[in-house]
Amino acid sequence: MRIVIAEDSTLLREGLVRLLAEEGHEVLAAVGDATALLTAVAADPPDVVVADVRMPPTHTDEGLRAALDIRGRWPGTGVLVLSQYVEKRYATELLTSDGGGVGYLLKDRVVEVDEFLDALARVARGQAAFDPEVVRQILARSTRTDPLARLTARERDVLAEMAQGHTNAAIAARLHVSLSAVEKHINAIFDKLGLSGTTGYSRRVLAVLRHLGS
Amino acid sequence: MRTLATRTVRFTAGCALGAATAVVELPLVLLGGLVLLLAGARPGTARGVPGPVRAVAAALLAVERRRLGRLLGIRIAPAPDDARALRYLAVRWTLGLLGGAVAALVLVGIAYSSLFVYAWWLDDIAYPLAVAFSNLGGLLLLFLACQGVFGTVMLEEQLARRLLGPSHHDELERRITQLATTRAEMMEAVDGERRRIERDLHDGVQQRLVALGMLLGRARRSHDPAHADALLLQAHEESRRALVELREVAWRVYPTVLDEAGLRAALETVAERTPLPVRLDYTVPVPPPRQTGTVAYFVVSEAVTNVVKHSGATRVEVRVGRDGDRLLLRIQDDGTGGADPAGGGLTGLARRVAALDGRFGVHSPAGGPTRITAELPCA
Repeated sequence: MRIVIAEDSTLLREGLVRLLAEEGHEVLAAVGDATALLTAVAADPPDVVVADVRMPPTHTDEGLRAALDIRGRWPGTGVLVLSQYVEKRYATELLTSDGGGVGYLLKDRVVEVDEFLDALARVARGQAAFDPEVVRQILARSTRTDPLARLTARERDVLAEMAQGHTNAAIAARLHVSLSAVEKHINAIFDKLGLSGTTGYSRRVLAVLRHLGS
Repeated sequence: MRTLATRTVRFTAGCALGAATAVVELPLVLLGGLVLLLAGARPGTARGVPGPVRAVAAALLAVERRRLGRLLGIRIAPAPDDARALRYLAVRWTLGLLGGAVAALVLVGIAYSSLFVYAWWLDDIAYPLAVAFSNLGGLLLLFLACQGVFGTVMLEEQLARRLLGPSHHDELERRITQLATTRAEMMEAVDGERRRIERDLHDGVQQRLVALGMLLGRARRSHDPAHADALLLQAHEESRRALVELREVAWRVYPTVLDEAGLRAALETVAERTPLPVRLDYTVPVPPPRQTGTVAYFVVSEAVTNVVKHSGATRVEVRVGRDGDRLLLRIQDDGTGGADPAGGGLTGLARRVAALDGRFGVHSPAGGPTRITAELPCA
């Protein structure tokens, strides 16, 4: 894949460049702030952008703003946002931007190299990738009025996997159940949450997440 | 002895001048009182007092304040409102007249006690004994009159303090306002420090640990043993650096040496850890109280950090001394100056010092050098 990296810590930026190069990807640019990121993407739109949420000058959410901007202007470029901590607001903003090609991972997740590379590949393909921790926090809300409360434990597991952006086949493999069982669970989930999910898998994930994050 | 003499002369002059102002004030006070009666002003408030009366009163007060300050050495902080000042003018003429009387008696005493001199000068002393007695009487009168002058000045001071200065209630209000302000600022300062610690952890320690994890992850995925070895070696180095970073952050949060070995040891550690030469001149015989010591430590440590970051200095001099019940700090560099007292770090320090009722000063002209001073209560 062709990748642009935006991360203000030199240490991590270099680490990411090396890691991706070793995996055979092409790093077009590695920059340290949001302005340089937009310039780099405009010069040569990549398949996917990896951006830190907090970057100079204000260290608040420049990276996220730039990511949303990129999703709007270059639909062919996916964005994977890295954050220091789970911030549901950021996740929601990414979700409500437009469909797939977005990802939101905790920065520490980069340590799980396999998971990180997998998330990056999914985002580049126009799917979604959300950090298990983000999903866990969203799913943790469980009030009496919450339709989530009506899900069985197994259905919750499936929902969490789905919300991270995994395919049905991947969910079946990860939960050690058959593909038809996963499909049955998913249908039950959509029934209980009142969602008609028949239009492509990432849209369904987003619909679920949007419903949960509302 | 000489100071006593000059003070007596100054006080006497002050009393005499006070009598002169009283002569001016008395008719004005009577006139003003009449105006106030007609205007229906409420006693004890400044409401309903006509402008001209206020203007005259303000002018008289200015004269009185100057007389009190210059001649009698009585300096009174201005009161928040001038209602009581009108009352001061209404009663002080009595003291003025008393002062005039004792000042006159001083002159009389001087005249009598020096009788002998004139007599000798005129050279016809018929009754030397009587003259000598008069002299002695004059000296006694002079002594009593001087006592009278001192007594009058004391009364002047009491009256001025009671009616011109801030009342006890005003003082309390001012103190409460000040405490509320310093408390709010202290919270600000604490929050600012917490933000800095959070940033230190995230941008320093966490990044190092993530980098370390990435190195290990890459090593595990590597199919080339030599490459994997090289990555592990790097990871090992990185783990050491992460530990150093963690120690640094913990130290910046709170230096435990301050509790274990006291202020001096903590400041010596600051000097050792600073890349510039720091000369520490520490002359405090008894260790200061803990609160004071902690604030003193943070003032020095933050100021020295600022010097390293911004000033371009080649050396720093830190002096910690004691003056009575105050701990004095001075941090001076030979840098380019231009430090901004409103900058984040310095504001935080100023607030910490203010919360202890201390004083904090930044002297940093463009071109340098910068001098930061703090005075902390150290009872």
